[in-house]
Amino acid sequence: MFSLSRSIALHALILPALTVICIPVHAAMSPGFNHLLDAVVRIDVREVSFEGGTRRFSSGVGSGVILSADGHILTNAHVVSPQAVDINITLSSLERVGATLMGWDHWTDLALLKLDLDEVNRRQLNFTHADFGDSDQLVPGQTVYAVGTPHGLTRTVTRGIISNNRRYFESNTGVRGYETGSFNTWLQTDAAINPGNSGGPLVDDDGAVVGINSRGYMGADNLGFAIPANTAKQIVAELSEHGEVTRSYVGIVPGSLRDLEGFYSLELNTGMLINSVDPGSPAARAGLRGGDILMAINETRVDGRFPEQLPGIQNRIAGKPVGSLLKLTVKRGTQNNDHEVITEELVSRVGEEWALERWGLSVRKVSRTYARENQLPDDTGVLVIGVQSGFPAAVAGLSRGDIITKINHEAVVSLDVIKAAHAAYEAAPAAVLIEARRNFRVSLYVLKP
Amino acid sequence: MKRSPLLLLAGILISGSAVGADLTGLWAERIKSVVAVEFFTETELDRRPSFAFGTVIDDKGTIILPGPVMNQRARPDQLKDFRVYRPGVPASDYAAGEYLGQDRYTGWHFVRVEESGREGLVPITTFVGDGPDVPAITEEVWGIGLRKKDEDFAPYFLSGRVAIIQTLPQRTGVTTLEVASPGLPVFNGQGGFLGLGAVGFGHSYVMFSERARGGQGIVLVDSDECAAFLLAEEILPNLGRVPSDVFGRPMVWLGTNGLEPMDPEVARFLGLESQAGLVVSEVLENGPAEKAGLQDRDILLELDGTPLPRLKPDSVVVAHVEREINLRRPGDTLELTVLRGSERIGISVVLEDAPLTPREAEQHFFEDLGLTIRGFTYADGVVRRVSMAEHSGVIAHFVKANTPISTAGLRTDDWIKEIDGVEVNDFAQARDILTAIEADATRNEIVLLASRGGETAVLRVKLR
Repeated sequence: MFSLSRSIALHALILPALTVICIPVHAAMSPGFNHLLDAVVRIDVREVSFEGGTRRFSSGVGSGVILSADGHILTNAHVVSPQAVDINITLSSLERVGATLMGWDHWTDLALLKLDLDEVNRRQLNFTHADFGDSDQLVPGQTVYAVGTPHGLTRTVTRGIISNNRRYFESNTGVRGYETGSFNTWLQTDAAINPGNSGGPLVDDDGAVVGINSRGYMGADNLGFAIPANTAKQIVAELSEHGEVTRSYVGIVPGSLRDLEGFYSLELNTGMLINSVDPGSPAARAGLRGGDILMAINETRVDGRFPEQLPGIQNRIAGKPVGSLLKLTVKRGTQNNDHEVITEELVSRVGEEWALERWGLSVRKVSRTYARENQLPDDTGVLVIGVQSGFPAAVAGLSRGDIITKINHEAVVSLDVIKAAHAAYEAAPAAVLIEARRNFRVSLYVLKP
Repeated sequence: MKRSPLLLLAGILISGSAVGADLTGLWAERIKSVVAVEFFTETELDRRPSFAFGTVIDDKGTIILPGPVMNQRARPDQLKDFRVYRPGVPASDYAAGEYLGQDRYTGWHFVRVEESGREGLVPITTFVGDGPDVPAITEEVWGIGLRKKDEDFAPYFLSGRVAIIQTLPQRTGVTTLEVASPGLPVFNGQGGFLGLGAVGFGHSYVMFSERARGGQGIVLVDSDECAAFLLAEEILPNLGRVPSDVFGRPMVWLGTNGLEPMDPEVARFLGLESQAGLVVSEVLENGPAEKAGLQDRDILLELDGTPLPRLKPDSVVVAHVEREINLRRPGDTLELTVLRGSERIGISVVLEDAPLTPREAEQHFFEDLGLTIRGFTYADGVVRRVSMAEHSGVIAHFVKANTPISTAGLRTDDWIKEIDGVEVNDFAQARDILTAIEADATRNEIVLLASRGGETAVLRVKLR
């Protein structure tokens, strides 16, 4: 206790001296940095959700950075999603302008918006745009700045260093329940990142955008993470052209080989462990299985010794056009074998959502990925994600987690099937027979007016 | 609130006057039909005592205990050291018992007291026929409760009035007050046997918290005393079902999974006004039902030409069908009537003896590894959604916490498919490989391929 109060006193003495030294540094922020500040925006979003058997609206605040003269704004996928109904941009001049969503990619947690240029021109507003730097040139210890709207505090700059330039983590539910992190590593920084910083740029001394701030550990001290600019550049190009990033999928769940080279009789830095193969996937059909070692993709060798290397390998598969023929060289036991697989399109486990309001029923389409993960025979059906008490679905006994497979004897192969049944019910309410499964138990329900 | 002790007292006074005056004599005779049973369940980690109360059913010292008193996961060879205590006799004085197994139809566990301990035990059948064996609603009934071991299982008197008689699907009398300990007999005023105290009847309460808003519903179940009893007609015809096999074989099997009840709205929608129907969620591979042509999602309507009764709550119909099947034997033919789409179809199923269960599968505990493996059974395939062609490997039946194998990520119920890169085909092979590994003092690691929830993972176990 005693020594602590002494050290605080000591800091109090030293701080004024430090401040004096620091003033010239602040005074000399580069023109590029000042320019960057004018390209950072606040984003206010109102969006719809389909939980609880009804449509609900919620609002949130995030950050973004203008990237082009035609008003493209980059932000996080978890700030603006396809469920946004109202996007408002606050420019550095503090003027507010509308925007629309151009594209969305939860895998890298990036979304691209477009400013309403008609409105900008009509109101004779001005904005500047920022430029990407080269995130591959970043070194740990290098000074970086985070700019954004933490907790709604517009145009906040925080400063820190690159703590790690190649952090690996992936999460199955990291972006609003969507998967993220399989195809990129992250920049880690100790620049303060708080809720609302999301989507804002991480920049160097010259104001070049080296990353997009995305997430931080809650309750930790300054463990923030950003998507590297070099990843963002590729995604922006895809999103501005196609509105989405289409990736290839073969169904391999990778693992790092670290410490297992001896067991598999491999040279160091050779091969990637296949931890699991998704049932029914192209890789499974080709005969691959957990415990195999992927040695090469199309004759180019693979090095998956450390977890940080896995996103790059995943990207080599994902980056191929859907339907590509890949030659996978796989080692099992002492044998190397080539397997040909044709890639499928990568889909999220999270399907499209909808609320059937007269029934008080929120549903989400069962995707191919969800079906495989949950050992369902196929992707028929919609998952119940919410019911409203007192409404027909809840009264009949349906609840969250049920999978509706048939409605009036018709297989629910798409959302349209159940939407059509709901529309017919709205027009002329009559009892509807529903078949649903829960943990492989099949039950029948009747929705009554 | 202050009045309740008075009300309770009044209740006891009324009871006292309604039941016959010679009750003291009836009581003294009838406590000779009840015993307390202690047994020990031995697992890899510990040896736990359990207590149950039982009723004597014959002059060979056979005792029945209610089904729920045992852990369903425990194998018969893990149940040790059965001890039978007389009510009110010092607990140091007990007789040994032999566990005979569980009957699937009634759920009862059967225990037999050693010969020297049988003297003075009176079979409950002695008291059948004294007065009517189905009580009237409002009738006063009484029974026996037993205290805990530290009170020498002292017997005490309980009584209450019959409030309602329900079919759940077993005929069950519900009483106004607790009338017996679970598994112990209930009598009428003349001392005639009426049934056995039934566990599982609870009272719903709403629990309020100062911190959380609103009340939360909870059900409290009194595990010491029952305010319900299975009627004698559910007990007496089944006293002969003493298992001939400790696993309860033969175990009759239809080969379906997930019989799901339907509510009256669905029944009505399907045109089933006066009877019940059950959805067959899944017909299991190579089972009797599949061989007979039953299909997933058929709706079961009749057993041997008898429509499924409408029982309340709806889920009771499932128990009814399961009991009907358990009453039959492998080789018996069961005629099913099912609704498939809008068509009624008759299907003749020849019932079979069920495949080996996980409880019956071979097991081995590797003490140094902290791992028990057991053979992969048919039920493991059903749970893991794999076809019989894919049955292989062994199941991690138990993984001890904080051992290298647990630190590597293996969990209880994981499916071990490969050990050190060698595909595991069966239990014997896995046991041999792991025995060799355990014996090898120079061994540094094991690499396992394990599957959980349809996903595999390579686990590196660092042994030293």
